[in-house]
Parts: sequence; C-alpha cells; structure tokens
Amino acid sequence: MWSQPRAFRVNMSKESQMRAAINQKLIEMGERERLKELLRAKLIECGWKDQLKAHCKDVIREKGFEHVTVEDLVAEITPKGRGRANILVLKPDCFHCLTAFLVLTTV
Amino acid sequence: MKMEDMSLSGLDNTKLEALAHDIYADLVEDACLGLCFEVHRAVKQGYFFLDETDQDSMKDFEIVDQPGVDIFGQVYNQWKNKECVCPNCNRSIAASRFAPHLEKCLGMGRNSSRIANRRIASSNNMSKSESDQEDNDDINDNDWSYGSEKKAKKRKSDKNPNSPRRSKSLKHKNGEHSNSVSSDPYKYAYNSGISYETLGPEELRSLLTTQCGVMSEHTKKMCTRSLRCPQHTDEQRRTVRVFLLGPAASSLPDVDGVVENDGYDVPDGQALMSRLQWDGSSDISPSDSASSKASTNNSDSKKPKKKKKPSLGLNSGTCGGPGSGSCAAVGAGTTGSGGGGSSQGSLGLPSRKKKPKLPAPPTPSIYDDMN
Repeated sequence: MWSQPRAFRVNMSKESQMRAAINQKLIEMGERERLKELLRAKLIECGWKDQLKAHCKDVIREKGFEHVTVEDLVAEITPKGRGRANILVLKPDCFHCLTAFLVLTTV
Repeated sequence: MKMEDMSLSGLDNTKLEALAHDIYADLVEDACLGLCFEVHRAVKQGYFFLDETDQDSMKDFEIVDQPGVDIFGQVYNQWKNKECVCPNCNRSIAASRFAPHLEKCLGMGRNSSRIANRRIASSNNMSKSESDQEDNDDINDNDWSYGSEKKAKKRKSDKNPNSPRRSKSLKHKNGEHSNSVSSDPYKYAYNSGISYETLGPEELRSLLTTQCGVMSEHTKKMCTRSLRCPQHTDEQRRTVRVFLLGPAASSLPDVDGVVENDGYDVPDGQALMSRLQWDGSSDISPSDSASSKASTNNSDSKKPKKKKKPSLGLNSGTCGGPGSGSCAAVGAGTTGSGGGGSSQGSLGLPSRKKKPKLPAPPTPSIYDDMN
C-alpha cells in the first residue's frame, strides 16, 4: 500500500532527474546549440519562417501597430509554429541526431 | 548521476523516443520564441513593414523590358553628350576624352607642352595689355613673374567662351606684334633674373668673357660654365651677348651679331613674313627640350624683329606695294587661325598655335588631340 505510491514517487523523481541530467548534458556538450542551429536552418529552408512571418503580419495588423507585445506574439505564434514544425518532414533529421545523442550518453 | 545513467541504460526505445520528442518540442519552441523576438523588435524599430509597398508605386517602378531602353524605361545611349569640365582650363570635354585631356592639361609625363601653354598665355597677356595701353611698365614687368602667370591663366579662361573675339584680337595683334616684341628683349634682359640685376655692366662684361652665360629659361640664371660649355651652342652664347652688351659686343670671341643683324635687315616682305611666323613658332614651340636653348631662341628671334618694325607696320597697315604678298599671307594666317579657333571651341590657345603651323603642311594630329 505504501510501497506503490512511494515507488511511483521515486520513479517520477527519477524521471525528472534524468531529464534534468540529460538537458544538462546537452547544454554542457554544446549539443543543444548545435541542434538548435540545425533546426533553424531547416525551418528557414522549408519556408516555415516565412509562413510564420506572414502570420505575424496579420496578427500585428489586427492588433494595431503600437499595441503589439512579445507576449501576444508568443501566444499567437507558438502553437501555430509548433504545429507546422510537426507537420513538416524535417523532424526525422533532428530526431535522428537526438536519439543518437541520447544513446551515446546513456550507453 | 551514475545511478541514473545506469537506470537510463535500461530504458527502452519508446521512452527514448518520448524524451527526444520532448527535447525537439523544446527546440521548436525556442525557435518560435526567437522569431517572435525578431518580429517584435522589427515592429518596434519600424522596419517590419518596409518591404511592403502599395500598388501605385509598384506600377511606377515596374521593370521595363523593351528593346532600346534600360530597365527604368530611359533611352540609354545618351552617354555621347556627357561632358566633363576640366578643372584646369575650364573646357568641357567629352567624357571619353577626359582622361587623355587631363593627362595633357595637368601634365603627367612630358610637361613641355604645359610650359609652352603657360608661355603662350603669358605672351598673350602681354601683347593684349600692350595693345590696350602702350608702355605700361608695371604690367610688362610682371610678365615674367609667377603672379602674372596666374593672371594670364585667369584671363585665358575668361576668354574661352568667345573664340571669335579672340581671332579678332589676334588680327589686331598682327599689327601690334612687332611693337610688343620689340620691347621684349630689353625687358627680358632687365628682368631676366637676380643674377642680371645684381651685376653691373663691367661685371657683366667680364663674366661674359670668361663664362658661357646662356640664360636658363626657368631659373633665368646664367650658365656659369666655361665658354666651351657643351650644353649650349655657340649661337646661344652669341645671342646672349648681343642681348646683354648690345650689338656692339664685338670684343667678345666669336661674336658677330652685327653681321647677322645686317643679314636680317633685307627688306623683303615675303621673307619678313615667313620670318615673323617662324618667330611666332619659336615663341611658343614647346619642342625644344633644353630650356636654355628655348630662351635663346626666343631672344634670337626677337632681335632682328626690332629692326624690322617699320617695314612690318607698313606691310600690315597699308597692305600694298612690295609687301602685298606678305599681306595676303597675313590675311590667310588670321582667317585660318580664326577658323581654327571657332572649330575648336573654347580652347585657350589654338589659334595662336595654328598660326606658326601655317607655312608648314597642315598637321591634323594637333586638332585630334584638342578635340
């Protein structure tokens, strides 16, 4: 009775700890920056950025030139950007790198 | 850490993929945030909408794609009438000829023509001033100094646009020419440099018996080498002596200026005219590279003319009698020079340059250069 939640808790904490550790390692090794750069290049290449920019224009016109804040933009843009990035086929590239990295670090 | 690594190694593929997915989403979000910042900054700085234009201006600045015009719709073979104004002589020259002209005008390489131009300008100035007001010693004295050169230049540029007037004044000058030049040798002798002014007659005489004494054109100093100095000819030495000591300088070695002058004195109109024209050419000819030689040429030519003055005045004035042939020559010279002046536009010196060339076969190369 006690053991399960305890085990679960331990498990959760373990998982979060593991995530933190992996993130730490990504940053430490500079892999995260490299991946980010790769992703950005891919996004620009496939037109993701231009599409989002056009969307930005619409949003800004809607809201008015002067009243735009970063928060507004983030709220408007991020969901759309995420959805588009998932639709696009560039995912395998980054994924491949990521999994390779993970395997490397964990083995 | 070690423990987690150990446990991590036990993860299966699905968990790994989930992890990778999370990280990927993280990265995408980062990219989105970056874009948001970028756009926001662009909006606030005001350059976000710069690339947007309205339809009217788009139509205005449409790229024209037609034969014969450039992309702005302009006819593009207008380079012909593009002209540059020379900063030195104020002439406007076709752009394609501007670089060669500058080279000549400002004097890259050989500068003898530039020196000649300056000399022409100064002599022009001199003769003009004399025709305006005779015996104006101040102006005459200034003629060989630096300031007067500047003045002459200015005057030249003033004269440039109206070439007909120039030719007229030149015609007038033919009458005055002998007059102006006749006073020249004295001026030259007195003003030719410090070395002359500081010397007394005796000193001058003794100096001339021992030294070459030929005057340099630029420095106006005398050559201090021996009488057999190889740089100057005997004739140059002789003329210098005739200048400085007068025609009676027979005491000097190998000076027979008197005989020479007698030889010049033959009152033949035709010979006189050719002589005169040759004088003009020697006056401005830039071809003699040895400066001292040029100066003596100058003086040499002026010497006999002094004696010819009366006959010349008669020739150009009356245009009859024995000098009729020469008078025709004068007319030809002036008209030819006038035509040359007008055809060459606002050049400072062409007509003057042309006159001496008249007896010789026409040389079109000069005008090619000028145009």
